[in-house]
Amino acid sequence: MSAPDWLPILRYLLAGAFPAGPLGGVALTVALTLASAVLSALLGLAGGIALVMTRGALHMLLLAVVGFFRAIPVLMLIFWTFFLMPVLLHIDVPGLATVVCALALIGGAYLSHSVQAGIVALGDGQWQAAMSLGITHAQALRHVLLPQAVRTMTPSFVNQWVSLIKDTSLAYIVGVPEFTFLANQVNSRLMVYPAQIFLFVGLVYLVLCGAFQWAVTRLLAGTFDAGGQTRSR
Amino acid sequence: MTAAGLFYLCQCISFWMVTMNAWLEPRYVAWIWRGFAMTLVLSASVIVCATLLGFALALARSARAAALRRAAAGYVLIFRNSPLLVQLLFWYFGAAVLLPDNVMTWLNTPHAVTLGPVTLDWPTFEFVAGWFGLTCYSTTFIGEEFRAGMRGVRGGQYQAAAALGLTRFATLRHVILPQAVRIATPPLAGQYMNVIKNSSLTMAIGLAELSYSSRQVETETLKTFQSFGMATLLYIAAIAAIEVALLIWQRRGAYQSGGSRFVRPGGS
Repeated sequence: MSAPDWLPILRYLLAGAFPAGPLGGVALTVALTLASAVLSALLGLAGGIALVMTRGALHMLLLAVVGFFRAIPVLMLIFWTFFLMPVLLHIDVPGLATVVCALALIGGAYLSHSVQAGIVALGDGQWQAAMSLGITHAQALRHVLLPQAVRTMTPSFVNQWVSLIKDTSLAYIVGVPEFTFLANQVNSRLMVYPAQIFLFVGLVYLVLCGAFQWAVTRLLAGTFDAGGQTRSR
Repeated sequence: MTAAGLFYLCQCISFWMVTMNAWLEPRYVAWIWRGFAMTLVLSASVIVCATLLGFALALARSARAAALRRAAAGYVLIFRNSPLLVQLLFWYFGAAVLLPDNVMTWLNTPHAVTLGPVTLDWPTFEFVAGWFGLTCYSTTFIGEEFRAGMRGVRGGQYQAAAALGLTRFATLRHVILPQAVRIATPPLAGQYMNVIKNSSLTMAIGLAELSYSSRQVETETLKTFQSFGMATLLYIAAIAAIEVALLIWQRRGAYQSGGSRFVRPGGS
């Protein structure tokens, strides 16, 4: 048995059939991560603010929704979105979109608790000081609370995003051609190098997670330190 | 628009009613229950092993020998930063190549252990690979929670124990660990919930646990709501059971300690 030609295989794993076909492999994993990271941050911010601002029955309802998304496995949510979204929306939803949707919902649920905790940790004094200046609740949140809370929330955002990279591998289960899916495909075609292939895949994820963590930490630190008190968007 | 819209709405509602009315046949419900039992058995064995190993890992990370400390840190770095799914695929497909042939044959042939009236069948290779992969992965998270708990014990406690003339081992056993375990218990409960949720990934290597069986029932009956709904409810029930256990533990602990023994800033 001759050794397989590794270069095309490596290319396939990195970008899929890209110029000729759809994007795949590591490139798709990165794209999936970025899309769900942005969406989960938005959902988490909205959810956290809603948890802070609501009281009573509405608050309990929100807690139940967030708790639901935190209690079910990511895989189960991917099943739900994959099979339900086409039925409910009556359009053909690509597998990619359903996975992004599921990852964003789970990430958003985890982040909304971090956002809430970050705002609550600032204490009532900040609210009262803002109110005494005569600004509205929304203004207080936008200009007083959030700029300070973002600093304490940064580590949980970075953590959540790094675990998103790992969770994108679950797209494998619904046949999205990301890195793990392609690696498994290559493995079942070659049959003889499973240990090497999956070691390589694990190593690439390790590098991805490390690079992403480093980049986001640097980016966020730069944004908030250079901008002083203003929160640049 | 109205007539067509109304007709469409009626169609949707009737579709909904038909799909909701027909509950799963008992045969399929039994499949899902069997999957749930598999999830529970797998999670329980992973939790037990990962807790013991995680404890050892936490000790290794604060060991005196630098080589041991560095090895433990490297283990955590590698296993935390690669996806569990890839790790499971590695153990499942890779083990078959890496292990000697006779070991693989032994793993793949059925065995039984008889303990008095109970006969335990040797689990399938899928179970062994899933259990091994999940344990390796969860150990890093559980170990880090233990480590955080040990670091949460204030330095004065070490000094006080030294002043009493306790040895290093006695300090750890009687002073540090009881406090560290109390601090680490709530995050540990969170990690145990993660083990249950993560056990769903073993369906990728063909272990017939809850997600796998719900998917199988869905394929067979086309009743998406019922099969996934039942599996989702069972997952939530398992998670809620851990949450309730934690609450009971906290109530009892607060009552027993009288609120004065382990006062720490921000503690409950």
